[in-house]
Amino acid sequence: MDTPARAPSSELGAPPARRGWRRFSSRARSSFGLYGGASLIVGYLSIIVLIPIAAVAAHGFSFSIHTQGWGAAFWHWHLSAGFATFWHDITQPAAISAIRLSLWLSLSVAAINAVMGVAIAWVLVRDKFPGKWFLEAFIDLPFALPTIVVGVVLLFLYGTASPLKISLFETWMGLMVALLFVTLPFSVRAVQPVLASLDGESEAAAKSLGAGGIRTFLWVVLPSLWPAVLGGFGLAFARAIGEFGSISLIAGGIGRTTTASSYIYNLTQGFLWTNAAAVSTALLVLSLLILIATNVFARRIQRRLAS
Amino acid sequence: MSISLSHLTKRYGADTVVNDVNVEIPEGSLTAVLGPSGSGKSTLLKLIAGLESPDEGRVVIEGDDVTDVDPRHRDIGFCFQHYAPFRHMNVARNIGFGLRVRKQPKDVIDAKVAELIELVRLDGKAKSYPAQLSGGERQRMALARALAIEPRVLLLDEPFGALDAQVRTELRQWVKELHRQIKVTTILVTHDQDEAMEVADQLLIMHQGRIEQAGEPTELYERPATEFVHGFLGPTTTFKGASVRPHDLELVATSVGAIEGNVQSIMELGFEVQVTVSLSDGSTPWVQMSRNEFRSINVGVGSPVSIRERD
Repeated sequence: MDTPARAPSSELGAPPARRGWRRFSSRARSSFGLYGGASLIVGYLSIIVLIPIAAVAAHGFSFSIHTQGWGAAFWHWHLSAGFATFWHDITQPAAISAIRLSLWLSLSVAAINAVMGVAIAWVLVRDKFPGKWFLEAFIDLPFALPTIVVGVVLLFLYGTASPLKISLFETWMGLMVALLFVTLPFSVRAVQPVLASLDGESEAAAKSLGAGGIRTFLWVVLPSLWPAVLGGFGLAFARAIGEFGSISLIAGGIGRTTTASSYIYNLTQGFLWTNAAAVSTALLVLSLLILIATNVFARRIQRRLAS
Repeated sequence: MSISLSHLTKRYGADTVVNDVNVEIPEGSLTAVLGPSGSGKSTLLKLIAGLESPDEGRVVIEGDDVTDVDPRHRDIGFCFQHYAPFRHMNVARNIGFGLRVRKQPKDVIDAKVAELIELVRLDGKAKSYPAQLSGGERQRMALARALAIEPRVLLLDEPFGALDAQVRTELRQWVKELHRQIKVTTILVTHDQDEAMEVADQLLIMHQGRIEQAGEPTELYERPATEFVHGFLGPTTTFKGASVRPHDLELVATSVGAIEGNVQSIMELGFEVQVTVSLSDGSTPWVQMSRNEFRSINVGVGSPVSIRERD
């Protein structure tokens, strides 16, 4: 039988149909007691991320407590005032343009690197050439390098005094180059192991059925890579939207190249903590939505492929 | 001849995996390539399919020299050991793959796929994904996918290797029956002698990259050309320094002129009984007989007996 074994069934016959909670809990499985495993992850994440994030979000909504009594009026006033302030902060033209720049840059960078990641992973897995080990190491460089170093290097290469005579200073192209570089390892490393695990039999089968190289790649190889490509896309996007160090220098100081992260930084320099928190929260929600979307999509494909 | 291989040789570095193979495979036959693992039988199959290219020799299919033809233009149906299903396509799309590649109209593809699904008895599974199929079903899907392009030759690499014993026996019979229906020249690779004897009408015994012997199963069993074939195809024991079939020996009461000995052990396997005898010349041949025959001679462990060849 191909259906995976679930809860152990009675030897005497099929187990009674389970509904609702009972059905749900019979499918749950935990290494640390019921929901112990989930609590472990949630607890740990709470300490290191969730609580600070909640604090930032709360700050964005101005939930700070200026007590005037704790009745229903208090909450009503604070929530409505909080949301009004939040909405006002994130709809500032500068805030909107910064968030918009961050979003489209990050999405396009993730998309470009999804394509290049597959191509580079393909070469690294399938080809043999001298110096391959060096390229392997070079791709991981952004993991090891402080991003401000990338910023300095890019400013030197593509700044106003560019030795290549290409100035990307204060242009979105400059930002994009920086982001493409720092997110590349996510795109490549997500795809590489999956590509390496393909045994080549399906490709040979496609070939014997008459498919050429391009068709074999598009019809047979790529579909098995989709979950990994989407995973890499999500990680690269997340990294790009949060990136600050590598783009801060080449962006210069003008509004046109101010990303959300730079905008937030500028706000904090002016002690506009509430505004900074509001924009951070907006960015956080948007990123989370995109990550969840790619995850759901990848899982849907993965489920079909799983044997 | 449907397939003829001449001087076919394949080397991997210093290893000669397929060594000067010359074979003619008759049209419409079901040929089993039988050999131990590492004998080069899978590589031979891949050379025919064009998935490997030979260092020397020619592959001729139905009179066309296809040695330098790309596998995609050879019109060969190849079934892989692990079936190589396209996991993101359902059964119908898997089977129709070769036809879509050939840009057949949709209604032609649909009709052909429906026909093949019925032929391989996957009715009701058209919309299932490979992950939802059992091993035997996947195998049949792979077979249908290979047959869809109406290949000149069907090649099966260890087709039953990854299945459990019961499914394997069923599928063997089914493949034999299928071959009777569609009559496409088929070569299957196996390391299982029973499987080869049961399914095939022609056998090729491979050993260390060479063809040891080719012919009909009974002929090879009765007249093995080499010691290797003798030992590989069917039970073998050594009597008077030569390889013989244990069912060609019989136990007799000790008498003048026969080599004497004692029964060393008795193994009863239902209908069959195997009696090992320790002879005075130091050898220990075993004799295969039916249960009834064993009952009639009435011997036990330690009984003094002699062995002679049956007439």
